[in-house]
Amino acid sequence: MAGMFAGPQEMMGYSFNTAPTSASEPRQHSFYPYTDNGGSTLGISGADFTIMAGDTRSTSGYSINSRHVPKLFLIGGEGPKNKGARIVLSVVGFAADGDALKEKLDKEVKMYKYQHGKPMTVSACAQRLSHILYNKRFFPYYVHAILGGIDEEGKGALYSYDPVGSYEREQCRAAGAASSLIMPFLDNQVNFKNHHIPGSGEGHDLKPVVATPLPKETVIELVRDAFTSAVERHIEVGDGLQMMILTKDGVEEQLLPLKKD
Amino acid sequence: MSSPFSINGGAAVAMVGKDCVAIACDLRLGLQSLTVSNNYPKIFPYGDVYLGLTGLATDISTVSDLLRYKVNMYRLREERAISPQTLANLVSSSLYERRFGPYFVSPVIAGLNHKDGKPFICGFDSIGCIDFAKDFIVSGTASDQLFGMCEGLWEPDLGPDELFETISQALLSAVDRDALSGWGAHVYIIEKDKVTKRLLKGRQD
Amino acid sequence: MADRYSFSLTTFSPTGKLVQIEYALNAVNQGVTALGIKATNGIVLATEKKSSSPLIDASSSSKISLITPNIGMVYSGMGPDYRVLVDKARKVTHTNYKRIYNEYPPTRILVQDVARVMQEATQSGGVRPYGVSLLIAGWDDGIEPETKAGEDAEPEAEKLAVKSGKTGGILKGGPSLYQVDPSGSYFPWKATAIGKSATSAKTFLEKRYTEGLELEDAIHIALLTLKETIEGEMNGETVEIGIVGPPEDKLLGYEGVEGAVGPRFRVLSSQEVEDYLTNL
Repeated sequence: MAGMFAGPQEMMGYSFNTAPTSASEPRQHSFYPYTDNGGSTLGISGADFTIMAGDTRSTSGYSINSRHVPKLFLIGGEGPKNKGARIVLSVVGFAADGDALKEKLDKEVKMYKYQHGKPMTVSACAQRLSHILYNKRFFPYYVHAILGGIDEEGKGALYSYDPVGSYEREQCRAAGAASSLIMPFLDNQVNFKNHHIPGSGEGHDLKPVVATPLPKETVIELVRDAFTSAVERHIEVGDGLQMMILTKDGVEEQLLPLKKD
Repeated sequence: MSSPFSINGGAAVAMVGKDCVAIACDLRLGLQSLTVSNNYPKIFPYGDVYLGLTGLATDISTVSDLLRYKVNMYRLREERAISPQTLANLVSSSLYERRFGPYFVSPVIAGLNHKDGKPFICGFDSIGCIDFAKDFIVSGTASDQLFGMCEGLWEPDLGPDELFETISQALLSAVDRDALSGWGAHVYIIEKDKVTKRLLKGRQD
Repeated sequence: MADRYSFSLTTFSPTGKLVQIEYALNAVNQGVTALGIKATNGIVLATEKKSSSPLIDASSSSKISLITPNIGMVYSGMGPDYRVLVDKARKVTHTNYKRIYNEYPPTRILVQDVARVMQEATQSGGVRPYGVSLLIAGWDDGIEPETKAGEDAEPEAEKLAVKSGKTGGILKGGPSLYQVDPSGSYFPWKATAIGKSATSAKTFLEKRYTEGLELEDAIHIALLTLKETIEGEMNGETVEIGIVGPPEDKLLGYEGVEGAVGPRFRVLSSQEVEDYLTNL
């Protein structure tokens, strides 16, 4: 917080020491409105489900603000508890912007149902989120967002965003502080990158293994592995693992402990 | 971007297995985003001990040559091959000698102990602080990615073949998420009386 | 001229000798006898501690010195020169080796380093050679060269194993005993003596030395040899013994550290020497 209003020569001293006089040099003040609150999120979509996950630690610098600040939010549904929601938004980066973004998207999705009399589809919600982010193109929400749901064909849907609204539908995506640790692991274990069929050739003639959607249990196991690994090597990740499993039957939420060191 | 450690790019990793160790590196040499060579190995043998060097390419060749000279002198003077532990301390003291004008390299060592055949790996920072790890050591511009891969794939007591598969998958998937590393890999599997060197093709982009 | 050139005091005589070195050897040959015997499981160094006056406090002076935890040294010749060499030996141990490899040098490496110091004094300007000969005893943790399976057919490997199987040495490990002279030459010995009665002591050792000697036998022989040449009384105060034996973990000064190995070299107390003398 101290970093938010930092003058160039901030120092301890007497109040009259720094009192401006007519001979004072002009002083430059700066205002940086963003903080990185750390943490990591990820999403993986399957044949008929999507799993979203994020750790629950909130940091600023080397301090831990809280061990339980969720990064996963239900979007839409009924009332403040989002009863019956079928869409999940995860945000990582600047938590205050994440909250504001969640509130805005939730409002829009609820308004959509009031006005159209039917719930918003994931693909529509995905595009709406892109617009919300782009609307603040020159003072962006400082977040990496991932949106998960079930599409109109009943397949798992997953969309990932940059802070200004560029988005893409993917099989899996890691975001946040430990994304560089988790993403190659997901490439390897979900999309079978660098896996080849043994004996199918030499060098580049080797046939790559074609990625097929994984069963839910396998994906849950992968998510837990990804986070326990990230916790070992990244100081901003830890405390708790919040997981949301989206199926045609609704959203199931799980909270698992992670290392608190 | 202008850090000397990330001008040329590159990645290296070492892992412990059951009665064996593995060390691997990528093959890219670049100048910022321009790839200059796709055959620039970063692992150097010193007898039966192997040293991986990532960082500034000019320092990689200077340090590898300097250590070749020092290790050759050691062998002539002492009439014996240098052990992994002794090489580790030699690397450490050689780097610390340049405490205030360091070589911009992140070395990795892998070998089997001469007396009891125990696997030995370690890594260093650029001024010679040794990281004695029991599991794996990563280094280079893809070190974050390698940490994630190794932490996810590595397990204790892997045999030589499983260790080869593990270190190869870890390196290839890690460098695929790093623009400054890749273009194939060299993998060494070091066993008691056998060293296997393999060339991995990998993505050529 | 004098401020622009310096000349070595050690210059060749027309016959090809370096007389300064011969003079230094004369100083050694007037020195108190010191001897060393190598056993299978250790080495003994022994010397007489002569005092010019009964008022000298013999218990607080020592002629046998520790250089590394596994290497000890004794001399014959000029005491002050020896102390300078002990200082330099301990220093090169660290600057040339421990600070580089984080381990102590093998005996032969230390011997070579000390020999270099002594040689440089025969070729440098403004110095004289050291007036001492040294006996350096040490234990090395080597690796037994094993014959790998399938390599038996190769006579080359066989020969190599035999070659490196020399007593002591870096590869095989175990005890080694060296003599270093003022010229900087050094010799490995099974047993030897230096100083005033070196010749007679060596003749005695030749008769008494056998292969496969144990450390306790070697200490016994060392005292018998010393007895032949000693001039004054023989007791715990006048005889000094240093041994390289099994690791003495209790000399570490601490316990409970896994993998910590105690020093092999130590100087025996006067009481211990006394005990050996009564059993002579």
